[in-house]
Amino acid sequence: MSGTTAMSGVSVPDRVGSVARWSAAFVGSLFVFGLFVAARGEDPIDAIRAIIESAVGDADALGETAIRATPLLLGALAVAVPARAGLFNIGGEGQLALGAVGAVGMSQMLGGSAPTFVTLILMALAGAAAGAVWAGGAAVLREVFGTNEIITTLLLNYVAAIIVTWLVFEPWKDPASLGQAYSVELDGRSRLPVITGNRVHLGVIVALLIAVVIWLVLARTRWGFRLRVLGGNPEAGRRAGFGVVGLTTGAMVLGGALAGLGGMIEVAGVEGRLRPGILVGFGYTAFLASWLAKHDPLRAIAASLLLGGIIVGGFGLKIATGLSGGAVDVLTALILLGVLGFAQFREAI
Amino acid sequence: MLLESVLTGAVRGGTSILFPTIGEVIAERSGVVNLGTEGCMLTGALTAYAVGIETGSAWLGVLAGVAAGGALAALHAFMVITRKSNQIATGLVITFLALGLTSLFGQDYVGQGVNALEPVSIPGLADLPFFGPVLFDHDVLTYASFAAGPLAWWVLFRTRIGMTVRAAGERPEVLEAFGTSPALVRYGAVIVGGMLAGLGGAQLSTAFTLNWSENMTVGRGFVAVALVIFAAWDPRKAMAGAYLFSGSISLQLQLQARGSGISRYLLEAVPYLAVIAVLVLLSSRRRHAGPESLSRVI
Repeated sequence: MSGTTAMSGVSVPDRVGSVARWSAAFVGSLFVFGLFVAARGEDPIDAIRAIIESAVGDADALGETAIRATPLLLGALAVAVPARAGLFNIGGEGQLALGAVGAVGMSQMLGGSAPTFVTLILMALAGAAAGAVWAGGAAVLREVFGTNEIITTLLLNYVAAIIVTWLVFEPWKDPASLGQAYSVELDGRSRLPVITGNRVHLGVIVALLIAVVIWLVLARTRWGFRLRVLGGNPEAGRRAGFGVVGLTTGAMVLGGALAGLGGMIEVAGVEGRLRPGILVGFGYTAFLASWLAKHDPLRAIAASLLLGGIIVGGFGLKIATGLSGGAVDVLTALILLGVLGFAQFREAI
Repeated sequence: MLLESVLTGAVRGGTSILFPTIGEVIAERSGVVNLGTEGCMLTGALTAYAVGIETGSAWLGVLAGVAAGGALAALHAFMVITRKSNQIATGLVITFLALGLTSLFGQDYVGQGVNALEPVSIPGLADLPFFGPVLFDHDVLTYASFAAGPLAWWVLFRTRIGMTVRAAGERPEVLEAFGTSPALVRYGAVIVGGMLAGLGGAQLSTAFTLNWSENMTVGRGFVAVALVIFAAWDPRKAMAGAYLFSGSISLQLQLQARGSGISRYLLEAVPYLAVIAVLVLLSSRRRHAGPESLSRVI
């Protein structure tokens, strides 16, 4: 998966050095994580073993990792596409959540009246559209008013979470839900089919295919080329007569649509209903996955699997040691610090 | 009185946003954006809370919160200045790290009683109608925050240290030519910024919410970064921004309590939308207000 163009000019000693730096970054982050675990009075070796076993220990564990990696992958692509044009999309959190909202809304509108295939396609389109609108809003504010998209995408995450909570507690509340509020369960025609094991659903394959398509679009089409030119040097893009506004807005809208689809896949493939806190943390983790992959769609597959595995590992850690589920966020952050500060040091961005 | 309740809430709730906003103004004036401000706040909130409980002294807690915010910011500074990693990505990693660490170490403190920073009424003034409750019946950190903006402005714009910080953000090469290391100046500014974010977090948990829960800052640190643009990188204007945000929180709480016909869940979006709205209105005027070398980063 080593990017052929990025690596072709690199000499053998550099490549060895790069492997060494990446290994050091991973080992170093595990070591520091172990120190934190020890500070909480747990055995670091047991903790790391619990994480690895629950993430990749058997077929079910691998399946669970693939399931968690799926919204991460689509969320990472939502970061990678605008990043090619030099834009930051930190709104994956909100775009994922609203994608789930759009999909549930469409399913409720259809009310089981359409065949499964049609229902799922329409739900995917609705989820993508909701994500696209959310990201597109930030893009339009940027182009029309010059409002920084880092800030708007970040703050809109909180608004999206509030919308989900409102829907679940008020208009879409399942009358049967008592303490915990959630929406009515999706009907059978609105659920993605399971393809292997107990839980691995069709969305896993869809996300992988989309990553390949996005890689092709970015690497092989004129649009992808223009995005890269714009990201490298906005002035050059302007002089070459590219429609800059259309390009950047398009990149954000496509990004939002990808994250929205990720939300649809999560709700139709895993959750089956909307609940407060659905996909919380996935947008930020996906942002980190895209940086880990240096915004390359194919490397993003590996990055999402790694960070998805760590999320699954968090459940194992909680069961084995009683440490909080959020503890593995520390490991994710340490890996990113190692990679951003050391492994990727002086590599081309 | 609606106005009195809203303004009292705005002032008390605004302190935790005001300190981080001023801190981020200082960091950005030196040329470094720190999206880890959210993380520094969160870490400051937990550290102050936990140390306050363990030592029995709220003030030791606040000090520890300040130190924790500074330590996390030092990590950001090391990453972006020494290791030259991307500022935006690194800031988010820092926040993510703080989310994880506070979840890991905060577990046992959820639901524990806090050693609170009690409000101190100013004798005489606190009994004034309207102004008493709004301005003179707060915790000590809130009183300190009234002076923080003007003080930070004075340091940044009227002292040699401030000039050096601004030079690091505008023309680092000039600073270099005069024999001062811009990197060192930036380290200092980012760490001070993180300490102020930690202070804001400490006020939030020990004087405002009086409890600890995971991710309790819910974006306040990110809002602080947004308000830096609103304030045009001027610490004096940070106050208006902080009170705009906390005032809209306090207004929506009052509307919830009085029944406005709007869903109380939707009302919670008002503060975030208010910040986005003012930024949109001001963006065209703010585009060139920032430090010059900052635009090379963003």
